[in-house]
Amino acid sequence: MRKLSIFYYVFFFRGNEREEKGKVMKEVKKKEKLETSIGDSRSALGALTVYLITGLFLVVGFWVVGNKYSVDLISDPSLTLRLLWSIEFPIVVIIYSLFRRNPEECSYFRAVGRSIIGLISGALINALGAVSLSAPIGMQSLPKTIHWSFLMSVFTFVPATAVFGASWTDWHRVFASLKPTGNIEYMIVIPAYGAIIGGWFGAWPMPLDWERPWQTMSDDVADGYWLTGSELGHSLT
Amino acid sequence: METPPKNNKWIAIGFLLIHSIAILIFTRGFLLTRTELPFHSTCSDVSLSPCLASSRPNHDSNFNSSSVLSNQNHPKCWTKAVVDRVIIIVLDALRIDFVAPSAFFPEAKPWMDKLTILQKLAFANDSSAKIFKAFADPPTTSLQRLKGLTTGGLPTFIDVGNSFGAPAIVEDNFINQLVLNGKRLVMMGDDTWTQLFPNQFQKSYPFPSFNVKDLDTVDNGCIEHLFPTLYKDDWDVLIAHFLGVDHAGHIYGVDSSPMIKKLEQYNSVLEKVIGILESQAGPGGLHESTMLIVMGDHGQTLNGDHGGGTPEEVETSMFAMSTKKHTASVPPEFDTSSCKQDMDGKQICISSIEQLDFAATLSALLGISFPFGSIGHVNPELYALGSSSLNLDNSDLGNFGTQSAVKEWMENYVNVLCVNAWQVKRYIDVYSNSSVVGFSSDDMSRISDLYSAAEQSWSNSVKRILMDRIGDEDSTNISPLKEQIVAYLSFFSSVVELARSKWTEFNLNLMITGFGILVISLILQFLAVFCGDKSYAVESWLSTGAAFTLFIVTIRASSFLSNSYILEEGKVANFLLATTGLIKLRYSVMRKTMQKEAVIFLAMVSVLRVSIDIGLTKQAATSQFMSSSPSWMLGIAPDLPALTYAIEIAPIVSMVILIYVLYIAIAETSSEGLWKYVTVSSMISYFLIALLWASESKIFGLDVLLQVIGGRNRIPQTVYVIGLVQLFLLASARIFGAGKDMSWAIRTVALVSACSSSVILLSGKQGSMLALAYLLAGYCIMRLEGVERTQSDGQHKFSKLNPLCVMQWSLLSICMFFASGHWCAFDGLRYGTAFVGFDEFVLIRQAILLTVETFGFSVLLSVFGLPLLIPNHSQTPQAHGKKRYQLFQMYMLYGVISATTVTATILCVTIQRRHLMVWGLFAPKFVFDVVGLILSDLLICLASAYYL
Repeated sequence: MRKLSIFYYVFFFRGNEREEKGKVMKEVKKKEKLETSIGDSRSALGALTVYLITGLFLVVGFWVVGNKYSVDLISDPSLTLRLLWSIEFPIVVIIYSLFRRNPEECSYFRAVGRSIIGLISGALINALGAVSLSAPIGMQSLPKTIHWSFLMSVFTFVPATAVFGASWTDWHRVFASLKPTGNIEYMIVIPAYGAIIGGWFGAWPMPLDWERPWQTMSDDVADGYWLTGSELGHSLT
Repeated sequence: METPPKNNKWIAIGFLLIHSIAILIFTRGFLLTRTELPFHSTCSDVSLSPCLASSRPNHDSNFNSSSVLSNQNHPKCWTKAVVDRVIIIVLDALRIDFVAPSAFFPEAKPWMDKLTILQKLAFANDSSAKIFKAFADPPTTSLQRLKGLTTGGLPTFIDVGNSFGAPAIVEDNFINQLVLNGKRLVMMGDDTWTQLFPNQFQKSYPFPSFNVKDLDTVDNGCIEHLFPTLYKDDWDVLIAHFLGVDHAGHIYGVDSSPMIKKLEQYNSVLEKVIGILESQAGPGGLHESTMLIVMGDHGQTLNGDHGGGTPEEVETSMFAMSTKKHTASVPPEFDTSSCKQDMDGKQICISSIEQLDFAATLSALLGISFPFGSIGHVNPELYALGSSSLNLDNSDLGNFGTQSAVKEWMENYVNVLCVNAWQVKRYIDVYSNSSVVGFSSDDMSRISDLYSAAEQSWSNSVKRILMDRIGDEDSTNISPLKEQIVAYLSFFSSVVELARSKWTEFNLNLMITGFGILVISLILQFLAVFCGDKSYAVESWLSTGAAFTLFIVTIRASSFLSNSYILEEGKVANFLLATTGLIKLRYSVMRKTMQKEAVIFLAMVSVLRVSIDIGLTKQAATSQFMSSSPSWMLGIAPDLPALTYAIEIAPIVSMVILIYVLYIAIAETSSEGLWKYVTVSSMISYFLIALLWASESKIFGLDVLLQVIGGRNRIPQTVYVIGLVQLFLLASARIFGAGKDMSWAIRTVALVSACSSSVILLSGKQGSMLALAYLLAGYCIMRLEGVERTQSDGQHKFSKLNPLCVMQWSLLSICMFFASGHWCAFDGLRYGTAFVGFDEFVLIRQAILLTVETFGFSVLLSVFGLPLLIPNHSQTPQAHGKKRYQLFQMYMLYGVISATTVTATILCVTIQRRHLMVWGLFAPKFVFDVVGLILSDLLICLASAYYL
């Protein structure tokens, strides 16, 4: 839910589209039919494979973090988060760019390029959302927040930008109206919402304290919770 | 068809009554008062005790004539007086690290080692002075502590409320005993003493204590009278109570230059006092046998707050010095001192004492009967400091002399303890017989066993040893004495343990009854909201909005089970508010309307969140953070000139914006007549406030203005008067039935603006910015109210109300409470604001100001501003009646939300009543919530009388 502010963001920068809303709306309907047929061509098995690959690389990421750098979310959250998203990001980009919209108009490298922009803007919006949901602010927790936002962005924005580009109508239909059509769109929307809801639940027990020793370091762990939560959400989907 | 408005009013009043009754019953079970017994000790009582009643005849014969003579000078009451005069200098809020050397703390801080004279005396070779670490019992407010110190009992939590108007102590107490025994008392300083003891002082020089901004009046008054009095012989006990350190802490914090200046001033005062004492200490001098006690009544946190039970607040210090040389030494078994090496490698020690023992020890030192209700015991180390005169002639006999001096002291001490134990046992027996909630028989029999064991050995052996001292003079066998002392001490410690656990004993039946009534009222309220005969006004409780509201209320309610959630309640409320904001944003994107409002709402939530964070750190921050008051605005780099400039400018700019908003409100709506004038006068108030702030800050060069209009109090007083006149006008307009058909918007704007000017003024400079954030966020909530609905049914039909917006409004008001720098603890009250516009203290007036400041944003404005949330489309006349009903349901909903959280708090308090933090955290939270609930119920009554 936090991430939904992207729509405002995209909308803001593409404000001129607003005037053309009526026109666009008509086009969308045509497009939808067209794309639904493409979407359907991707089998459920393919979607599962994609999930498996991204999930696998998340595990690989944790393995690298744990064994090569011997840190974890609690001892060094920002390094862990940075490693995780930088391992995960290329995989997500490579896979989802294969499923880009209008492959004949938009080259593979263009899809990769725009997903990098998506990563950065998505990170910005995730960070804003996290701050409004009381993620710790201040210089010492800044890197943690930044890396967390990048990781969240990898799960939420990067697939969507790779597939849709900056097509506001697609974004709106899939994320805001929750009317995805076809397997690709489900492949995008389910992990994204999973990550967000997981992140929310991860943040929720943050200040909990039943006099357990591990809860004394609540602030440091806060980001860890977020991540664990979001991964849980991601892997559950 | 329409519910008559009067009926609605009665419903609101009904809930107010039910809540009050429920809370009253619960409070009676939870915040128990100790039963105060009306009995007094008298000198003759002691003959009932098994102890050596009159002064031991055999013993006295050992003394040379001078000591017999001195004995005749002091008619013995319960114990033999060992000092003639006592000077008690109370330094309010004296932290232990003000007195104890910095070697005892991990890190030397600027405020340490300032009272050098005390350290010099205490650590000198062959000194007759000692530094104690004194433990106070919470609640650590001055009145409670003075009561505890003088009665030797455990004042209970409920007495906190009396701190603003100290009532006289009716229980037997040390001061009372002094008067009964013909001692003459002189008091100077804090006027709490004269309120507690109105008739006991022969001479008193009280000075007003509640003006916390005033660091010097009380102290200067004390100093002025202290030195001349020291040369006089018309008193036996002198009490001087200095307040400067407490006030400096409240205003500037511990780590501040006024605090250090105060401490240095005290050092020089104490130096002079000790100089006078020593000059008069020779044989036959005025202060031949005087004891000086310099003590704190409680500690304080680094912010200068106190009231709770944290170590910083509870640990205070006591310095005791006898003008006699060669004081008795205490056997190592009873020595509580802890020692450290100072910088020169010298061994320095400080002892520890319970404040509970103060009354008993001083009574023993002065030879008067112990207060009836005292449960403390005579502290060996403090008692030893005064006890030297008994063995003056023996002490130069070398090693053997020391041995026998120790023995003699112990013989004396064991007899004192015997009387002491008998008195405590008598009190416990009488208490458990006469009090409604006595001690359990198990505990009583355990205590009785301990006592009778001690008494047995006393009568069988020790008493005989003491009686038969003649003959075995040389015997240095002191082990039976030691055993006897140990037996008594274990009796005392079990009594104190029992008292501590039992005087916070809860009446579970009353608590459950109160809780049950609250739950029933909740169900009734719930029915009133959702199952009324006209359920069209609020969406049915099965709708998503209502379900989500329920979800959020449940989360918030269950969060009170954890103490750290209570500490960070503001953050939790903010998190939930942000969550609702994000959901609204999602809907607004989905419907493609009002995205701007949703984003602004989130931005406002983030702004509030920053200010909540700063409010939270305020509890831990040092005084540098708070020194220039509007605390939370001083963020990262307070020394940047641009930033200071911005900090000065921002409140005034937001004030101007608020004036403009009011102007728009008048211009846009068809406001007329009375309501218009009321709103315009609010604009004038706002302008006056802006003017006041501008003239207070240095950059505008408006300092002259303050002199022109005659002092800084003129403007606040004008604002209060304007506010009162506005409220009076609005109320009378309502009574005479004018403007019934006025739209709510106009009436609400008039009422809210009338209240807000005083609230903003009291909140200080942050007030205007918070008000602006509040206004913006409230506006966004109103705009976003119906965003989930598909547009088709929103425009034509009369729309049902989404409960989520009331939930958001209530969460927002909770956030405002925390964002305006409050937290649910008594040290979170901002006493300073009670003096905005006034210099002198008047209980009712200042209490009202403090209440308005504390609950201004979170209850006052939020209840009165609720009608602003009504979506104002469809202005048809037939909608008016429906809207009136809708407004009523909104108020009911608001009531049910706040009552639910309070019920949850009460449930959690009941569950956690044995929690370590119950007095530190849960009880204050309970008090704040309960006061907030009663206040909102009351205001809901008023609001429904005004609007409906």
